[in-house]
Amino acid sequence: MQRLVHSVFLLTLFLVAGIATVASAQEGGALAGVAAGSSADYFHNLIGVVTGNWQEYGQLFTFLQGEWFWKIFLAIITVVPTVFFLHYMIIGAKHFDHDGPQIYFFSLYARIVHFVAAISFSLLVVTGLMIIFGSFLGGGSLIRLARYTHLVSAIVFALPCVMMFMMWLKDMLPQLHDIKWMFILGGYLSKKKVPVPAAKFNAGQKMYFWFAIFGGGVMAFTGYIIWGMGADIETVRLLTIIHNVLGMGIVAFYLTHVYMSVFAIAGSLESIKTGYKPKEEVDILHSLHKYE
Amino acid sequence: MARVKFLCDVDRCIDCSGCVVACKEGNHVPVGVNRRRVITLDQGKPGEKSISVSCMHCADAPCIAVCPVDAIYQRADGIVLVNKKTCIGCGYCFMACPFGAPQFPKGNVFGARGAMDKCTFCAGGPEEDFSAEEKHLYGQNRIAEGKVPLCAGMCATKALLAGDADIVADVYRERVFQRGSGVNAWGWSKAYKE
Repeated sequence: MQRLVHSVFLLTLFLVAGIATVASAQEGGALAGVAAGSSADYFHNLIGVVTGNWQEYGQLFTFLQGEWFWKIFLAIITVVPTVFFLHYMIIGAKHFDHDGPQIYFFSLYARIVHFVAAISFSLLVVTGLMIIFGSFLGGGSLIRLARYTHLVSAIVFALPCVMMFMMWLKDMLPQLHDIKWMFILGGYLSKKKVPVPAAKFNAGQKMYFWFAIFGGGVMAFTGYIIWGMGADIETVRLLTIIHNVLGMGIVAFYLTHVYMSVFAIAGSLESIKTGYKPKEEVDILHSLHKYE
Repeated sequence: MARVKFLCDVDRCIDCSGCVVACKEGNHVPVGVNRRRVITLDQGKPGEKSISVSCMHCADAPCIAVCPVDAIYQRADGIVLVNKKTCIGCGYCFMACPFGAPQFPKGNVFGARGAMDKCTFCAGGPEEDFSAEEKHLYGQNRIAEGKVPLCAGMCATKALLAGDADIVADVYRERVFQRGSGVNAWGWSKAYKE
């Protein structure tokens, strides 16, 4: 029964993604018709031929990119770390007994795939932010290099992205206890070591997984079109807006993942390097994990 | 100095493309880049009209607003220029522009766009006036020589007017009055609304 529910859930996800892609592609193919009429109509048609319906997305893009995108990104990269810093100072990191029994949690294959993904994804985030804040860095060859690195990292990231999807799909499917995890925010609001409802991956990791995989897919598609201007101008404008807005969410999740793995759980960075997690940590933070 | 503007009189433009050739040749514009082009609507039908389009050097230029590296700037006389050494070729200015003015030559790395190139109103660029570097990157600096842009200077029917906004407007107003038809200089409501 559970297997069936999983399949239906997945199928729906794929269908929604597919329909969205086809719809945007059809929108892109439409060209403004040129009809004769009054001189006002003539000028309206002319501007449509020159540069599409500027009022629709051009104006919106100009407003968002000129006024808001960099401010929102600045807020994300300052507010999110500040919140985590306060969490670290007030509640502090979770410490587990690293000398006790260890559990083999991540296979060598998983660790290599994750390592490649981590490097390329970090480069994507850093170079993306460098482009957004290019004016503070003076532009020129440094930011041009950031653009090229952004493209290469995206191509590299695509491979571990697909591998992680296949490798962790089963463990990343949403389950009922994830709702309970969300309500207590994974137990990170207190120092008490109470077993948290999570199997191999907790709800936070699952959210990051789905955001990175599907968000990554959308980012790859929109980025590819933006890089080569591979659609008519109106579609490119819309896709650029999507690329930036989705980027905000991804940067926020990225910062969260970095804080959790490097600071919030002392020594947890070791587990993705060696593959072993302390048994105590697994029993508390992944209390529903099934031992093999 | 007063504000300068372009104006293309659609009742006079005959689609000869002299402005395009003059600009490309005189400024040694890279292959694949057109700082100015002529667009014809309803070709071969009654009411056929042509217009020469380039950067309008807008009052509140969207390209300046969206540039992530602040490579685009506006001079006191209204001319909008790009610093090609700062530009990263992201293409945002092209997405923001209502006139499709910013152009991009093919770069060398991964098919990336090179630095943005667009009409300079024949006013060169941020480099030193008349320097070899300025000429190489941006073309002629006719404004510093006291001349009108090449395209307008070359226009056989004087459909394309360029220069001091007040004088351009006066010339056009006189024409409209004499012809007794045709109003609304194309693009002005969009480029200079303020």
